[in-house]
Amino acid sequence: MTIAAPVRREPAPPWLALAATAPALLIVLPLAYVLVRAWGVGAGGVADELFRPRTLELLANTLFLGVAVTAISAVLGVAAAWCVERTDLPGRSMWRILLALPLAVPAFVASFAWASLDVAFQGMAGAVLILSLSHYPLVYLPVAAALRGMDPAFEDVSRSLGRSGVATFFGAVLPQAWPALGAGALLVLAHIFAEFGALALLRVQTFTTAIFSSYELQFDSASAALQSAVLMALTLPAALGEMRLRRNMRFSRSGRGGRRTQRLQPLGRWRLPTLAGFSALSALATGVPAGMLVYWLAVGRSTARGLSDLGAAIAGSLSLAIPGAIVVTVLALPLVLAASRHGGAAARLADRLPYVVHGLPGLVVALALTWFAIHVVPGLYQTTALLIAAYAVLFLPLAQSALRASVELAPPRLEEVARSLGRGPLAAFATVTLPNILPGVGASLALMTLELVRELTATLLLAPTGVTTLATEVWSRANDGQYAAAAPYAALLVALSAAPVYVFTRKSLELHDL
Amino acid sequence: MKTCDRRSVLGAIGAGLAAPALWPSRPRAAGTLTLYNGQHAEPATAVVQAFMNATGNRVAIRKGGSAQLANQIIEEGSASPADVFFSEETAPVVTLAKRKLLAPVAPETRAAIPAAYAGKDGAWIGVTARCRVIAYDARQVKPESLPKSVLDFATEAWKDKVAYVPTSGEFQSQSLAILKLRGRDAALAWLKGLKDFGRVYNGNVAAVQAVQRGEIATALVNSYYWYAVADEIGTENMRCQLHYLGAKDPGALVTLSAAGALASSRNPELAQRFLAFMTGEAGQRAIVEAVAEYPVRPGVASPYPLKPLAELDPPDVTTDDVSDATEALSLQREAGLA
Repeated sequence: MTIAAPVRREPAPPWLALAATAPALLIVLPLAYVLVRAWGVGAGGVADELFRPRTLELLANTLFLGVAVTAISAVLGVAAAWCVERTDLPGRSMWRILLALPLAVPAFVASFAWASLDVAFQGMAGAVLILSLSHYPLVYLPVAAALRGMDPAFEDVSRSLGRSGVATFFGAVLPQAWPALGAGALLVLAHIFAEFGALALLRVQTFTTAIFSSYELQFDSASAALQSAVLMALTLPAALGEMRLRRNMRFSRSGRGGRRTQRLQPLGRWRLPTLAGFSALSALATGVPAGMLVYWLAVGRSTARGLSDLGAAIAGSLSLAIPGAIVVTVLALPLVLAASRHGGAAARLADRLPYVVHGLPGLVVALALTWFAIHVVPGLYQTTALLIAAYAVLFLPLAQSALRASVELAPPRLEEVARSLGRGPLAAFATVTLPNILPGVGASLALMTLELVRELTATLLLAPTGVTTLATEVWSRANDGQYAAAAPYAALLVALSAAPVYVFTRKSLELHDL
Repeated sequence: MKTCDRRSVLGAIGAGLAAPALWPSRPRAAGTLTLYNGQHAEPATAVVQAFMNATGNRVAIRKGGSAQLANQIIEEGSASPADVFFSEETAPVVTLAKRKLLAPVAPETRAAIPAAYAGKDGAWIGVTARCRVIAYDARQVKPESLPKSVLDFATEAWKDKVAYVPTSGEFQSQSLAILKLRGRDAALAWLKGLKDFGRVYNGNVAAVQAVQRGEIATALVNSYYWYAVADEIGTENMRCQLHYLGAKDPGALVTLSAAGALASSRNPELAQRFLAFMTGEAGQRAIVEAVAEYPVRPGVASPYPLKPLAELDPPDVTTDDVSDATEALSLQREAGLA
């Protein structure tokens, strides 16, 4: 322990350490599964698989798609955030929500809408367009939050030195927003690496879609495991980058002074073009998918055919997503608490482990848990519990990110005071810390509900027999080309997602607005 | 006091962690049959509904791709919750049969259908027959201008004019039929030609719809996908039409959807009763009303205006010839499709 440490760091108490062990163990499972299975191929097999032309083709596709979508999302996200937070754009409070709305349209729903609009959108170019439109809010939201929380003094200094607005943006604003931008961009990259449904509908082949085909074609999944290992190797730099940025983010926040009103940049003659641009963006990202859904609801003959299953699918979605969101948030909390309050190598490792498997497709996580359940705890096989465990593996990093900001803002001293006044650890936590971190808990619950409602691949494999969700029903129908039959499910899925998107948008934009 | 607190906290956390584990999995009452269904949803739901109405038994359906579900059954081994497996193709059931995971089908059930439509080892039965066809856009191509053999579609002359679905089991069977009839080199050349000149689609209906929209001139699919699209938009609106190659060409291959009972089933009698129902009169009628495939049971007729089975003139291959999943995969890997 260093004397200069700002916060007194004690090792995590046993209850916290124990609570943090469960999620950490869960994460090790798919990691071990992939490595053991891939190892089983043998050194010769590994070399054969890695140096096939097909692997190179997949590598090129995966990297190109990931980089292109991330770059476009970053540009769109930063532009949107800056205009909404820092200019006199008319209707800013409306745009703030509208620009986040594409989050409510799962990528595979957007893809099915565009793919059914015109064949030209199938293929790599279409995939870059459609995925960028559906992923830029992942950059927009954190950057907008960072812009709001930023100390305007730097900008004032820059402007007083005679720098132009543009120079000030690149010289003073962007460097401060960099951690938020980086974290958002890496999140986009991880999503693209793991995306399956959208790319299958758009006929673009990446490692993730190839893992699916390997599994569909082959009666043992060694090659799928090898492809997963490659994908994990691709995700690792992104995961490490996220962690580095997060470390820096803490510094950037520590120097924040008293809150001052942000000065708004007048748009002047750019006002109309900017408004037109945002209108076009919203029309493309939200309007086209919504319009196509309405079109298919109106024209298709198969629309009515599937309606009888609608109730079961809604019930299935809610009964998985809501308990799932609670469980994942509860599992993430001790990880964040232990790492940010108490530190220590073990706590930091446990906190970071989930990021290593982030970017693994749901299918691989599902396969690992299937294997584990069948061979170790047969009683858990095909139960809701196992599926929720898979959700935890897939989405823990997102819950951690949502929680982290408010956990770091809540002073640990308060809880120590409560303890010294005789409260037990749980009571102190529940009465003192929990109320302080509620915004983060709310943001995490909203984000998890959103992600779980649209989760497709793990649900397909692990859901109890007979349980369907809106996402699986959209998928099985759209994949069969029954666009009209898929439309009611897709429309409901979007409607159901709108509420958590609204909550999450408000929470994440207000969080830094203390 | 402090320790007591800690214990209660630990207890609470333990209970919290254990709670999801105690989540009730769907109760599997005796008399409930678990069906792993890789066949299309409509025919499976139809036969299950008819079975439940006729017998009063409950059936839980697990959906998935046929190969994927077979994969899952292999992984589950003797602990599999499945009682019956209904597969869109024969390769998955043949694979399970080879691994001794299927129980013999009752002789009466097998006797109800022609011997060619059941596994020689008695481990599985065919449920419907389907045929490979060429779907073509009548506005772009004339049926007389279509090649005589499916092999000629994998050539530069047909660049960007042929849709195919390499992940479809019937497509794989077709490549195996070519292997059997013309040799491995021909099958490989065909796949490579398609990779170079054709266009991959991820589903058969998607391929037929692509032809229907004029996106692409032809598609290598099964006949019933055409009827599925025609049902959706109206037969009178179909610019996509079907061409039957016949003449014992591998492009006229007839394949089966198939079913088997799991050796590990805890409801073996119920599983056999379900198999018997699937090939029985009522079951066959329910299935062929829901999908435009051919019934395997003599005396049952499809309500769809299908080209009669007897006129298809398919190539001379057996089910075993076209059900080797390992060989199909090795061909696709060599051709760079997988």
